[in-house]
Amino acid sequence: MFEINGGAAVHVISLSKHFGGAAVLDNINFEVAQGEIVVLLGASGSGKTTILRIIAGLEIPDTGRILLHGKEVTELPARERGTGVIFQSYALFPKMTVAKNIGYGLRLRGRSRKDIRKKIDELIELVHLEEHRDKYPAQLSGGQQQRVAIARALAYEPEVLLFDEPFGALDAQIRTRLRKEIRELLKKINVPSIFITHDQEEALELADRIAVLNKGMIEQIATPFDVYMHPETEYVATFLGAANIIPGYIDHRCFRCEDISIDLDDEMRFSNGQAASLVVRPEDVFLRKPENLIQKYQPLTDGIVDEVSFVGAFERVSVRLAFIHDKRMIVTRPKTETAAFPLTIGQKVPVGVVRFRVLPDNNREPVQRSSSAAKR
Amino acid sequence: MSANVSGVKHTRGFDVIKPLSVSVLIAIMLPLVLLPLASIFVFGTSNGLTSFWNALVAPEAIFALKLSFATSFWAMIFNVIFGLFAAYVLSRYAFWGRNAIIVMISIPTAIPTAVAGFALLLLWGPYGLLGRYLPPDMQIMFTPYAIILANIFVTFPLAFGVIMPVLETMSRSLEEASATMGASRWQTFWYVTLPSLRGAIVGGALLTFARAVGEFGSTILVSGNLAGRTQTAPLYIFSKFNEGQVEAANAVAVVLALFSFVIFSVLFFARDWLEAD
Repeated sequence: MFEINGGAAVHVISLSKHFGGAAVLDNINFEVAQGEIVVLLGASGSGKTTILRIIAGLEIPDTGRILLHGKEVTELPARERGTGVIFQSYALFPKMTVAKNIGYGLRLRGRSRKDIRKKIDELIELVHLEEHRDKYPAQLSGGQQQRVAIARALAYEPEVLLFDEPFGALDAQIRTRLRKEIRELLKKINVPSIFITHDQEEALELADRIAVLNKGMIEQIATPFDVYMHPETEYVATFLGAANIIPGYIDHRCFRCEDISIDLDDEMRFSNGQAASLVVRPEDVFLRKPENLIQKYQPLTDGIVDEVSFVGAFERVSVRLAFIHDKRMIVTRPKTETAAFPLTIGQKVPVGVVRFRVLPDNNREPVQRSSSAAKR
Repeated sequence: MSANVSGVKHTRGFDVIKPLSVSVLIAIMLPLVLLPLASIFVFGTSNGLTSFWNALVAPEAIFALKLSFATSFWAMIFNVIFGLFAAYVLSRYAFWGRNAIIVMISIPTAIPTAVAGFALLLLWGPYGLLGRYLPPDMQIMFTPYAIILANIFVTFPLAFGVIMPVLETMSRSLEEASATMGASRWQTFWYVTLPSLRGAIVGGALLTFARAVGEFGSTILVSGNLAGRTQTAPLYIFSKFNEGQVEAANAVAVVLALFSFVIFSVLFFARDWLEAD
């Protein structure tokens, strides 16, 4: 068996899959290191479930390969792969007790009764289900069922844990608590894990790295911080957190849109005339002249306050930009800011940004300008 | 109006509709179902329990009951296994003609039992399409095997009909989970699928058995109704009644009635018990 980048526990190599002519997955590549948690984040229909099912061996890819700990498993059936899948509905065996569910994988492997018992005891303690040992799944709460599902998958020391929207069936409060618990548990046992979810908050909280999927392709794979702070595509910017998008073009190391002009950093590489979008998070918009700002401030244009609403910890302001036809920007302001500088509807404010991204927009044609030619 | 709202007790007028509707329900059931059943027991025991017992232990009566139970048993075994197999295949695989097969399995219930018996005769009888090629000492018709065949035919879809919906609604992820944990198809079927079908299998089996024990229309055609050889319990009742031996017919009728009562009690109570946990 050959190895690629020896260290990684899971290799997914140029995976493609079609369902009746429509591409579900298009050249998916990523790796998961030992003990790492990778979250596949995407809307329904983005192909994330298909990736998980292919890794587990429940679905066959058209092309591409799966390596688990350096071993090629693409052609192996599900039962010979040794993956641990935590299904969305947990799929606990209804006619088996908690202990029997957990011991099932070992029983199939023909372990001795004593070994199985020992392992069950160990796992039941790990997931804190001591008093539920002889109960049936129907007698457990959603959170307890999920812990049984995890213990059941851990029993046979799987090569990788695959979580299919594991929090979907739980209510919001329990979800937040379980996320923390599971992350701690996974870090303790150091098993590589892949989660799939459509919940960005969940992805940010759980992941070591997030892979954002869109229409069967990975748009970006990076740490939660990078995916949020340095989104590489417009889709990533809008899917993870809110973002204001202003379409424009590149003109001599500047981003331009109507009267807006922003100098670009040297690290951003664009060709002249290329269509691009200015992406700004609501919390990075500033609605007053900077006096003693620590951050780098870039003035954009003037705007008229359209709407002010109070949303819990912060205030959300909608601002109509002066020179862009009918374009509104959403701005969030912390309490300190709203108390010191209250805004009223109809008020004219200067709009500026303290942090922004300019991303190439491949869906639009480049703007024809006199100063032509690409300088990449 | 009283100010004491919390203490007000609501008293509606006596609802006449409730006892009236229940009485009507029982009044309809009485002549149609309850009285006929009661009269079996009344007549069966009218000459005293001793004569009832003597009628029951008559060798021909014992034989008829045994034959009915034995032939029904084998038909039940076959149809439960077949129904389980058919339900598994049809619920797990999508293929061209799947619906046609489901319809074909279900057809036997819609066919009059006399027609079913007649059809079997035309196929397996001494001059039948296939029967004519069987050597004389291997003829099936007018033997207990013919009764089993007829029972299989008329109860064909019953077990399937109970098992299929349970299998179809069973979450596929249970079997997928089992596979990812390392189980072969057979292990998955044995440890995961089958336990969830316990209730349906017992229910389907009892239904098949109860229906087969009472089968008359097809049996009378294929068995030849030979007392002590191919005469089942329903045929015995029919023959004895025709001969004017009402008491003999009655004794066996009481046993069959009690039997079906027991089966349906089991169906009613045991299914909950089997489905539990």
